[in-house]
Amino acid sequence: MSSIIEVTHLEKVFGDKRALQDLNFQVEQGETFGFLGPSGSGKTTTIKILTGQLRKTSGEAKVLGLPAEQLNKPEYRKRFGVVTDNSGLYQRLSIFDNLKLYAQLYDVPLNRIEEVLEMVNLRNEQKTQVVKLSKGMTQRVILARALLHKPELLFLDEPTSALDPVNSKHIHTGLKELNKLGTTIFLTTHDMSEADYLCNRVAFLHKGKVQLLDTPSQLKKQFREELIQVELRDGSQLELPLAPASAAELQGYLAADQVETIYTKEPTLGDIFVEVTGRELI
Amino acid sequence: MSFSIKRLMAIFQKDLKDLYRNLYVLSTVLLPLVFAFIYGRMDEVPAEIQFFLVSLTLSMVGTFLQCAIIAEEKEKNTLRGLMLSPATLPEILAGKSLVTVVITIVTLLLCIRMAGFNPDHIILVIVGIVLSLIFFLALGTWLGLVTRSVLEASVYVLPIMMIFGMSNMFIGLKEDYAFLQVLEYTPGLQLVEIASLTDVSQSWKPLLIIFAWAAGAVILSVITFRKRSFD
Ligand SMILES: Nc1ncnc2c1ncn2[C@@H]1O[C@H](COP(=O)(O)OP(=O)(O)OP(=O)(O)O)[C@@H](O)[C@H]1O
Ligand SMILES: [Mg+2]
Repeated sequence: MSSIIEVTHLEKVFGDKRALQDLNFQVEQGETFGFLGPSGSGKTTTIKILTGQLRKTSGEAKVLGLPAEQLNKPEYRKRFGVVTDNSGLYQRLSIFDNLKLYAQLYDVPLNRIEEVLEMVNLRNEQKTQVVKLSKGMTQRVILARALLHKPELLFLDEPTSALDPVNSKHIHTGLKELNKLGTTIFLTTHDMSEADYLCNRVAFLHKGKVQLLDTPSQLKKQFREELIQVELRDGSQLELPLAPASAAELQGYLAADQVETIYTKEPTLGDIFVEVTGRELI
Repeated sequence: MSFSIKRLMAIFQKDLKDLYRNLYVLSTVLLPLVFAFIYGRMDEVPAEIQFFLVSLTLSMVGTFLQCAIIAEEKEKNTLRGLMLSPATLPEILAGKSLVTVVITIVTLLLCIRMAGFNPDHIILVIVGIVLSLIFFLALGTWLGLVTRSVLEASVYVLPIMMIFGMSNMFIGLKEDYAFLQVLEYTPGLQLVEIASLTDVSQSWKPLLIIFAWAAGAVILSVITFRKRSFD
């Protein structure tokens, strides 16, 4: 495996505000990488720097083996796709006409449009004018547009923030599929179950730095409190250490048929997020 | 990657289709047609009016349309998407210029059909109009690069309209207001100058003046374009 994104000591300062400081991480070819953090922690800023839309202040950012500043050169633009919260569509044109423009710009056959619309569950809305779409539908068209040219690397900035669970799920399936076919995905989201489901690894960004980076399952193991939670039939709750010392007590309850439920306490990514960043999701 | 005609045409088609549904911009742009229709009902349309319609069309369509369709891409966050695609800014601007040129020519032809246009030295006048169109187009491109919304574009284009679109009208007041004499140098009045020459060999002078306007506007928009970084 080789790194498709390499960020070292990256720093970004806006005026007197330090949005990113000493940011370090790598994204490997073929993985889905979750970039998580509170609102205002610099996720969008990082994506903008990585896609050549914004200049870094210092440090290094390499994408597809190139310095990120070079990524805005036309010859490299076919290799990646971006969905951001401020991507616009032509309101007066239909979904199809919006995608047709991009198909032509990327030199992709027009029948690809149906394929991407199928992926975002909008195949039957091709003729609809964009101005008449709901927020979630607009978001799906923007995602479809980013998929047209089958990029090697896809940056998704909160791609499902406006979607209902059914459409989110449809898109999750599509993204898994895409990833299986080899697309590397760099994803930011405030939906921790989405991150858990989609990402091979996640990084938690806070105070301009990566505070934590690992696979979701490893993180959950790491943050697991070594406790067994037992709920008894009389409604009382117990917490026992996850250790040989608890065996006798536990066996006693089990033998007396007093146990209603029993489980080890598994933290969710959301719990870990709160623990690491010290605040609730916004 | 080199300049691609295919991408230019894709932008052109998109903008044409979009403009067709853009009532605000379209109605502003078609204002010269309303004037042409009204004047066209006179028995004999005076030459000054005919030249006025030409200047008005060049500034309303050539400058305002160009400026508005560039500014709108910024206002609606669509330029960012284009700039992330293989399309380059020169291709985008060229595609839009083509839209503007086509609509300007169609509007001019319709105006001429309604109000007539038969100046002396017609070939030289046409050369002058082509140079003027380059001037107005470059001016619109420059304004499009510096403005951020269609509304802003509509405001900025007003003085340009007054100076360059209406100069043929205001020049009538130069006896009362001496400062209006500078309007003599606008492309619109240099076109009149060409038509009124008795000695055709003197036509290089008005043509050179219009050329200077065009060159100036092109240089201005190129400099702005180079300086422009789309954050
Ligand atoms: N153009 C800018 N000028 C000044 N400050 C900026 C600019 N863009 C972003 N910032 C600041 O940088 C910080 C990071 O912003 P960014 O948009 O990257 O956050 P984010 O993690 O994407 O947040 P969210 O989850 O709300 O989208 C914020 O404090 C923001 O105010
Ligand atoms: Mg953001």
